[in-house]
Amino acid sequence: MAVPSQESPELPHLGDVLISPDRLQARVQALGAAISDAYAGKDLILVGVLKGVLCFMADLLRAITIPVEVDFLSISGYGPGERGHGEVRLLKDLERPVEGRHVLFVEDIVDTGLSLAYLLRHIRSREPATLEVCALLDRPRRRIMPLNMCFVGFEMPDVWVVGYGMDYRERYRNLPYIAVLHPPGRPEVSSEQSEVIVPAQCADDSEAENKTPPG
Amino acid sequence: MTAHASSITHRRPNGDPPHFAHPSEEEFARLLDFYHIPWEYEPTSFVLERDKDGNVIEAFSPDFYLVDQDLYIELTTARQKLIPHKRRKIRRLQELYPNVHIKLINREDFGKMLHKYGLEDEAPNLVGTVDNGDGEK
Repeated sequence: MAVPSQESPELPHLGDVLISPDRLQARVQALGAAISDAYAGKDLILVGVLKGVLCFMADLLRAITIPVEVDFLSISGYGPGERGHGEVRLLKDLERPVEGRHVLFVEDIVDTGLSLAYLLRHIRSREPATLEVCALLDRPRRRIMPLNMCFVGFEMPDVWVVGYGMDYRERYRNLPYIAVLHPPGRPEVSSEQSEVIVPAQCADDSEAENKTPPG
Repeated sequence: MTAHASSITHRRPNGDPPHFAHPSEEEFARLLDFYHIPWEYEPTSFVLERDKDGNVIEAFSPDFYLVDQDLYIELTTARQKLIPHKRRKIRRLQELYPNVHIKLINREDFGKMLHKYGLEDEAPNLVGTVDNGDGEK
């Protein structure tokens, strides 16, 4: 698969490929297997928040081998156009019932955890049997809200990333890999930070970990 | 030090509206409000040192307390030369109050947060230049 050069005029500010398509797919398959084991015999529903999670959700869903449903939420994000509203707005609510069911919230990337905390509180109000989190990328350097995540794809350095559903001003979602972005005006990453992305902490020496099976 | 009037709905424990020491604090409060995260502004002053007569000679009042997370947040976005001083205070606080959880958000962290939310154009006003304002308390 051709990987565009960062010099491509069609992909300005795009830096190095952080996670290749092959590595992404291998990790998603491993997560799918771990989730299938952890939720075997349980009424599982995956819930994602649009739009960044769409590629990860599509691949993860197909990597799960047990019966599973899927649903999506959409919320407004904090920013110049929204902070005047004063509070987050729910743009699309769940369509499937989650009460008494095992909900696995699927995220593309978790950093501050502020929006995730809001979303988990929203879902928890529907009284699911369990509510856990699966994140493809974890950027703990920016964490504000303490979070426990059962399934994590990769722990990543403090860099801006796009691709595999994640955007910069609605572009780059279609990239089949995750790449570093260097948009103008954004703070440079500290030199002491690792440039190596690693699979998240595993329970064993494989990349298919399941830290905390649901209760 | 300039006090910034607030449009934030939360109040101090004594009922007064918060008067933020720096625009970055007001923006952070607005962000917490946006995501319905309960907070208090400078609710606690931790004594770090007393003299032999028991008088307080050093204390530390973290900027925010996130109620549901039982977490204090200290924003230090203005004078970065204060960072080592703040870190020393936080280390001392953790020695004296090991059950208190606190996170320091520095200028770089806050700048990245602003860019994440598309507020890069406002960053100079919210973060300030290196030596304007005074985050010291």
